[in-house]
Amino acid sequence: MAKATKQIKREVPHPEEVQSQAVADIVTALAENREAILATIGIVRQLNDMGVLSAVEALLDKRVDVSEIAIQQINQPAMHNTFKNGMTAFKFLGTLDPGQLQMMLSGVGNGFEKLGEGSAQKSGNPSLWKLGSSMRTPEVRQSIATMVSFLEGMGESFQEQKEIH
Amino acid sequence: MKESSFSVQINGEEHTAYPGQTILEVAKDHDTYIPSICYHPNLGTIQTCDTCHVNAGGEMVRACATKVIPGMNIDTTSQQVRDAQYEATSRILKNHELYCTVCDNNNGNCVVHNTVEHLEIEHQKYEFEAKPYAADNSHPFYRYEPDQCILCGRCVEACQDLQVNETLTIDWEREAPRVIWDNDVSIDQSSCVSCGHCVSVCPCNALMEKSMLGEAGFMTAIPPKVLEPMIDLTKEVEPGYKEIFAISEVEAAMRKSRIKRTKTVCTYCGVGCSFEVWTKDRHILKIEPQEDAPVNGISTCVKGKWGWDFINSEERLTKPLIRQGDEFVEATWEEALKLIASKLTDIKEEHGSDAIGYIASSKCTNEENFIFQKFARAVMGTNNVDNCSRYCQSPATAGLMRTVGIGGDSGTIKDIEKSDLVITVGANPAESHPVLATRIKRAHKLYGQKLVVVDLRANELAERADLHLHPKPSTDLVWISAVTKYILDQGWEDKDFLATRVNGLDDYVASLDKFTLDYAEETTGISTDELIKLATMIHEAKSVCGLWAMGVTQHMGATDTSTAIANLLLITGNFGRPGTGAYPLRGHNNVQGACDFGTMPAWLPGYEPIQDDHVRARYEKAWGVTLPKDPGMDNHQMVEGIDKGKLKALYLFGEDMAIVDSNVNHVDSALESLDFFVVQDVFFSKTAQFADVILPAAPSLEKEGTFTNTERRIQRLYQVFEPLGDAKPDWVIFQELANLLGAEWNYEHPSEIMAEVASLAPYFAGVSYERLEGFNSQVWPVAKDGTDTPLLYTEKFAFPDGKARLHPVDWTPGFEAGDEYDLHLNNGRLLEHFHEGNMTYRSEGLTHKVPHPWLEISLEVAQERGIEDGSLVRLSSPYGHVKVRAIVTDRVRGNELYLTMNTREEHEMVNRLTSSYHDKITHTPNYKEMSVKMEVLEEKGESPLPKVNHRFGNRMPQISVKVEEKWKRDDFTPITKLFETGANHFGEGHQAN
Repeated sequence: MAKATKQIKREVPHPEEVQSQAVADIVTALAENREAILATIGIVRQLNDMGVLSAVEALLDKRVDVSEIAIQQINQPAMHNTFKNGMTAFKFLGTLDPGQLQMMLSGVGNGFEKLGEGSAQKSGNPSLWKLGSSMRTPEVRQSIATMVSFLEGMGESFQEQKEIH
Repeated sequence: MKESSFSVQINGEEHTAYPGQTILEVAKDHDTYIPSICYHPNLGTIQTCDTCHVNAGGEMVRACATKVIPGMNIDTTSQQVRDAQYEATSRILKNHELYCTVCDNNNGNCVVHNTVEHLEIEHQKYEFEAKPYAADNSHPFYRYEPDQCILCGRCVEACQDLQVNETLTIDWEREAPRVIWDNDVSIDQSSCVSCGHCVSVCPCNALMEKSMLGEAGFMTAIPPKVLEPMIDLTKEVEPGYKEIFAISEVEAAMRKSRIKRTKTVCTYCGVGCSFEVWTKDRHILKIEPQEDAPVNGISTCVKGKWGWDFINSEERLTKPLIRQGDEFVEATWEEALKLIASKLTDIKEEHGSDAIGYIASSKCTNEENFIFQKFARAVMGTNNVDNCSRYCQSPATAGLMRTVGIGGDSGTIKDIEKSDLVITVGANPAESHPVLATRIKRAHKLYGQKLVVVDLRANELAERADLHLHPKPSTDLVWISAVTKYILDQGWEDKDFLATRVNGLDDYVASLDKFTLDYAEETTGISTDELIKLATMIHEAKSVCGLWAMGVTQHMGATDTSTAIANLLLITGNFGRPGTGAYPLRGHNNVQGACDFGTMPAWLPGYEPIQDDHVRARYEKAWGVTLPKDPGMDNHQMVEGIDKGKLKALYLFGEDMAIVDSNVNHVDSALESLDFFVVQDVFFSKTAQFADVILPAAPSLEKEGTFTNTERRIQRLYQVFEPLGDAKPDWVIFQELANLLGAEWNYEHPSEIMAEVASLAPYFAGVSYERLEGFNSQVWPVAKDGTDTPLLYTEKFAFPDGKARLHPVDWTPGFEAGDEYDLHLNNGRLLEHFHEGNMTYRSEGLTHKVPHPWLEISLEVAQERGIEDGSLVRLSSPYGHVKVRAIVTDRVRGNELYLTMNTREEHEMVNRLTSSYHDKITHTPNYKEMSVKMEVLEEKGESPLPKVNHRFGNRMPQISVKVEEKWKRDDFTPITKLFETGANHFGEGHQAN
């Protein structure tokens, strides 16, 4: 014989029991990860000493306001340009042949080296004749030929742009 | 149909095509990509998005709407085609802002995203323009954001022609077209039945599940004031969509690591919809139906799409409970199971094995039902095992076993779809089997299927029917027999079929003598003209499906009425061909499976009689035990057995018997007098209140297994979550208990249980988990090689001689409560809640739509007795009383009332009124045969149905989305016009889209 009943005596665990179990779990986890935890504490202490933690805390607390300000600042024409230029530059890098770029950059590097040796200063203001005769050296000729090709390519691109617009 | 193939050229390559296929279909078959945003395989051609333009035979055409012809030369890649597709897609993007990375629909399956990406669109031609409408967030489950809506019309097509609820349209007349609900009311106030079709087919984020918003993405919870400038910024500086998509792809890929997608099978009715559940931890993000789901495709109903909140309800049972006096105390599994084992052993030893009854669950899996009956029979030594089909469809099973041999639907939903004529008797599929009803409504609306509804109520299908007959209650057998007799009298019977495939014609014809049209008219109230009209419709239809449900089976003459339906179908030759057959619509997700897998007192799995020595010997050998030979008690006999002191203990799982059995006052007192009662459930049910031990079970989302739907289709469900708290899957509980009682079972996975069934029951010989992987399914009987049987009786009926049996039946008048009970009481389910609502009331949204049960009262009675919406009335029958609030409606007529069963309140339960009378063959209670008297307690009160219920909406029927109206707009320029001569002049101002 059992009358219908809705009574349920739930064993609500004693808050102290729940807490002591939780503390025990945490202590076990700490002990198991001793090295990592101690290192983390060191890092956190330094961050705290530097005042980073309180700054981060404030930032997180006000994250919506902060992001609103940030996004407003970023959402300006100048920033748009920065982004666009950044992305253009990034894309540009992708179009270059690494071999060529390397050659070019090592050439530039060498040029700087020569500059550093001070041959230009040493010779003072070279006469046109002297410059003319420099032109005859294979090194300078090579360099000028390269620059001319470069200018040609650039000009082609400018022409194309003009036709489109 | 596919025999005469021919070849066409796509981009210079030869491909096979079939007559009637569109270019898009052929391309899909051969993995050639053609963009197609508005096309969906479950919806067909809509023609709004224009992105599928290709060049066929030198002309620009829509690939979705153009049929292939032999030798057709199709180009999908030329510059002209690409330009046309770019133009169409740009028109789409004018209506849709691309912020994919911060969009909750960016999950790898966004059609707009994938199309734009596939077409490698770098910049859009027309700038995005917001529409002058606010988002509609009024509905509890989904939102509409007009600004993101591309006006593709998929949602409208789905609502108008697949679900056929006819709520959504696009208003092409206004300056900025948009989707509207009814005659432009808020979604919540409309006729929307919340089926979710529109949301599931939306190719972008215009229609979204609210449960997804801010949850699905890593960055989608950003507040609008930060998000909007972020989107602006991205658009301002974007280098092109390729880079943006790269980021959104990465983000979508990251989502996959935390969003779990699991296939499951719905538990809210017998139709057997399957779909993916998307979850993040224990949070359900959404139900995502898939076009390859065998029964439903992308269709769902309000419960299947949204009704799963119960899974995380705080009221779930999470620990075993043991009764101590008048209260339950939490216990460990060990304590609870040990107590059950020792109590059952004591009772068995003192009173014998048959003093314990076992009630199985039609909500639980096939495997669980199988091992439960194995537990009862092999471990506990009794055949006292039954399931809730006793409350619903046992009479249909019995009627079919008598006549055609197998107690299940003759075919599948595909047959119902393609039938010439569908007759439903005593069924309300639009509410009780919603997705199955959609297929009837679609065939009826679009393909000329005829529909006859025989029902006391003007339910939704009745409103749509070509013929709605309203018989007097409990007289179905009479009109069915009269129509059959009339068909025979006219010589309209299928003579060949009867001669070659059917036995017993002469005796049967003789038994029809008394069922003249006059007798039928007098008994049923259906006029002779209407009966002749019905007979003529049956005669003229090339194929007929008969569907029925509780309106037939919950009567004293239920088995006979079911038999009469089968007889009518036999006489007219409507078995064994596509589009024909008998379809008792199963109410619960696994009521078919529970019966199939042996939780019935007289049957072992696969409907093999327990009394058959050979059959029993097979099981005895496999299980190493001796099985009891005589059939045990069914549910009804168990309650009687308790009364008589024969039954001392009961073990019940997944069944709320104290609500759903008839005459619950009587059932309650029986349950009170049990010596020992175990209830295993997901919730603390009404029945559990009587228990001695309550065990917490895991619902479908927390376990694996299979369900069998009304079609006899076996489908797998996969585990979505770990069981909550200490709850366990039912099969695990049975095994642990069986092992305590010495069974030594060792099932590690439900697949092992299914393998055992396959080895024992011939109907399931070829069923295996491998063959059921994912969305695969098998319709039993399944031969050893895995061949299944979607359509029964194509060659023979399930009797030794292969012939069907006409079975003479006579009419059993319904129960009469007495003259003072002047109103007939009908009752049943409703769309929004499952049964009493133990699961569905845990959903805030469902409760918002339907908070209470209600009593439907006709206009006549309402006027006569001064009743209006919200009046409180008391109904009294000879068995008890209820107090409920009224809704006045023309769905019911005259002195007929209808009370819904969605309540957990004692004073509202319809089974306080029903009796213990029952079908004489199967003992199914006569729930539908009661009369009551009514007193008005309060004339005025709050309506039990809120105004936000779909029943108060105004449907706007039309075919599809009316794309012609879009094409007529001044600002629309057909793509073909721009590209017709290969010219490349882009026109201006053509952005209706």
